[in-house]
Amino acid sequence: MATQAEARALRLSELPFETSVNAGPKYVGGFFTAIREIASHRELLDLLIRRELKSRYKDSSLGFLWSLIKPLVQLLIYYVFIGQVLGAAKGVADFAIFVFAGLTLWGLYSETIATGTASIVSNGGLIKKVYLPREIFPLAATGSAIFNFLVQMVVLLAAIVLLGQFPISLNLLYVPAAFVIVLIWGVAFAVLLSALNVYLRDIQYLVEVVMLLLFWASPIVYSWGFVVAAVKNHTWLLEVYLLNPISLSILAFQRGLWQAGSQTRVLEGREVPPQDWPAYMDLRLAAAAVVGLIVLFIAQRIFSRLQGNFAQEI
Amino acid sequence: MPSQSDPRVLAKAPTVVRATDVSKRFVIRKEKSLKERIVNFGRSQKHKDDFWALRNVSFEIKAGTTIGLVGANGSGKSTLLKVLGGIIQPNDGTVERRGRLAALLELGAGFHPDLTGRENVYLNSSILGLSRKQTDEYFQSIVDFSEIEEFIDTQVKFYSSGMYVRLAFAIAVHVDPDILLVDEVLAVGDEPFQAKCMSKIRQFQAEGRTIILVSHSAGQIEDLCDRVVVLSHGNVVFDGDAAGGLLALRESFEH
Repeated sequence: MATQAEARALRLSELPFETSVNAGPKYVGGFFTAIREIASHRELLDLLIRRELKSRYKDSSLGFLWSLIKPLVQLLIYYVFIGQVLGAAKGVADFAIFVFAGLTLWGLYSETIATGTASIVSNGGLIKKVYLPREIFPLAATGSAIFNFLVQMVVLLAAIVLLGQFPISLNLLYVPAAFVIVLIWGVAFAVLLSALNVYLRDIQYLVEVVMLLLFWASPIVYSWGFVVAAVKNHTWLLEVYLLNPISLSILAFQRGLWQAGSQTRVLEGREVPPQDWPAYMDLRLAAAAVVGLIVLFIAQRIFSRLQGNFAQEI
Repeated sequence: MPSQSDPRVLAKAPTVVRATDVSKRFVIRKEKSLKERIVNFGRSQKHKDDFWALRNVSFEIKAGTTIGLVGANGSGKSTLLKVLGGIIQPNDGTVERRGRLAALLELGAGFHPDLTGRENVYLNSSILGLSRKQTDEYFQSIVDFSEIEEFIDTQVKFYSSGMYVRLAFAIAVHVDPDILLVDEVLAVGDEPFQAKCMSKIRQFQAEGRTIILVSHSAGQIEDLCDRVVVLSHGNVVFDGDAAGGLLALRESFEH
């Protein structure tokens, strides 16, 4: 077998030396190196996403239907209690579609961040034993959040079609834009927080609380019109409200899918004007995307600084 | 027969791993939560302990060598192995290497208890760097090696510990590494399976693969290694042939 050994030695002698992967370029180039590395592991990423989805509902008889039941119950609660009992549905046509659209996109964001933040710590066993580009774990969490999002999206679209409200207009372009922006910001925070969580385990609990707060900072169960009416004496507050890229994305998402929001409807004998959508929405969305990419870049750089010590801190 | 590597091949073999002045410091913090950190803020130096797991370790490894890392508990062997594998980053110095590296640091580290044996084979092979196509090719051979064909579609949480390591070892030896890092995992399974593992290791040696081995078993070291590096408190105290290494190891216990 010496020939095989010799062939191997010959092949090895022609390979260039690589320094250990962590010690790669520290600045701008490192971001692209990391992306290349993740791209070369996309098969693994795919398997990890499947693992996440399969293992979550393994041994339960309803399986992944559970990922639908939760948002549907949420919808029911918000529809009945916030909408009808507390009256948020007054003046909002097709309140169910409105709420479910918001919940679907919010679900993508909150699940990405919540499972992403815990992802490095919960995969500690692997990280301590094998070298992989570690960004792959928050990304796998994102992948499974996207899957759940798509399932809910199917339900949402089915409901819209059933109600005969399918909004065929240029507004539909807001839907992919909102999705992309939420994804950029979600991944950025998931990557950053997953690394910080290794050093400070409080982060994952803090994230839960903050997400609870942020839920109410976006127009999910109350309408944009409500916000406009509430702060009409201090319009600068609207600008502050729109600085939150997620609020902006949810507005864009609703503008795309919730036809009633852009039409004049008659509700209980009263005429409901269309939502007074924020001005310069396209421009704001573009800005949110660009800033999001910068934040993602910074988050990855911090992640790559911190990951050198993951194996010993977990 | 102490080794199966042909010395003539070794002499002109290329270097595959080069460690230069590698140092690794662990900071042992005694607090972990936010509360503790805030309470101890400013005094936090008191709550830190420095510990040098490796100090200025340098060596080169040529292709085809089987090298044993030995030392007392806590001497830095496993840390060194992890630094070589890129799992942890040294504070100082560099590690350069070439060729495909597979780490057998803990068998089944990537197994997910809720997935079946088959799903775990695909997942774990991918973690160790095989493509899906390659795994398809090797799948039957992996299952044959592990001898657990009838349980391959059972969730691994129902496996006995022996079945678990058999499957994990079978995957690990099929990933076609140029450099194999082994941490105390050769003593797995029952006696026939152990013999099978050893003969696989010998086949690897004959195929010119580099094996870096951490072991406490003097017999195994003597049996397999061309070269032994003895570590003591993070320093290399001996680097040479197996017999001399074991002698130096006994000496290092006395300090």
